[in-house]
Amino acid sequence: MSVSEIEAELSDDERAGLELIRETGGIHQSDFWKELDVSSRKGSRIAEALVTSDLIKRESAVYKGHTTYYLEPATRDLNFELLMAGDMLSPFIGEEDIDAQSDAFSQWLMNLAYSR
Amino acid sequence: MSAAAPVSYSVLLNCLTDEDTTMAFEDLLNDPVIQKYLHELVGPTGMPVAAAPPDGEVTDEELAEQLDLELNAVRRALFILYENDLASYRRVRDEDSGWLTYLWTFHYENIPENLESEMYRLLDALENREEYEEINEFYLCDVCSIRFEFGEAMDFGFQCPECGSPLESMDNSMLVDAMQSRIDELRDELNVDVTG
Repeated sequence: MSVSEIEAELSDDERAGLELIRETGGIHQSDFWKELDVSSRKGSRIAEALVTSDLIKRESAVYKGHTTYYLEPATRDLNFELLMAGDMLSPFIGEEDIDAQSDAFSQWLMNLAYSR
Repeated sequence: MSAAAPVSYSVLLNCLTDEDTTMAFEDLLNDPVIQKYLHELVGPTGMPVAAAPPDGEVTDEELAEQLDLELNAVRRALFILYENDLASYRRVRDEDSGWLTYLWTFHYENIPENLESEMYRLLDALENREEYEEINEFYLCDVCSIRFEFGEAMDFGFQCPECGSPLESMDNSMLVDAMQSRIDELRDELNVDVTG
């Protein structure tokens, strides 16, 4: 199942939880349920469901003197092949600016259109 | 025209793992796109450094000796990795000599994140360029393979300014189709909502 399919099957609470974790980039579980405005028990269930679906990572942590969990978005396993056109890698790698009219990008596009 | 075939670094990787060097991030380094990515960043001379990240800390001198490379080449590669969040260092002063030693740690766990943001950048460029391809009409000189926008072609009287050959109307639909399907694939993979 793809990530978007898994996400489509989440409950509203789980989706809100996932969004919170992604927006913050990582949050302690003791803040997580407060932010979501649910009980700690419910917050813990939501986090567990997201861990089981591999959407987040959970590690135990000590925070404000209490043992809790730190919840982080899982690194998604993306298809990096989409950066390639034939055997050419995206020309924007290592470049600060994106110039959609550059010769290097034109070459990449030619490869994309004609090298299959 | 196609780019030169990439050097296979898996051979190099295998040689290195056979020795007593322990290497981290092997799964990542087996991915050909990631090999290309590192190669793009550090270039051919830096590749031996980028392709064999040791587990734990290492000094630039140790790497130069292990890989039989110039110290400058090693340092150059390490700083490029550093600029891309793929390596960090801490400085330690040697108590006897007073010299500073740089202890390097590789952070290849950041590679997926970097490539994800490259996918977003590529998507931006594709969307931008697709619009340009759609709204313009193009003329081509078959001899020089130079493409002109309609306005430019008209200014040149539909003759190539380089060789004088007549400029022919060019159909870019194959290019636009290829761009559109890559845009769709990227949006799907990155879960980008199409709005508007």
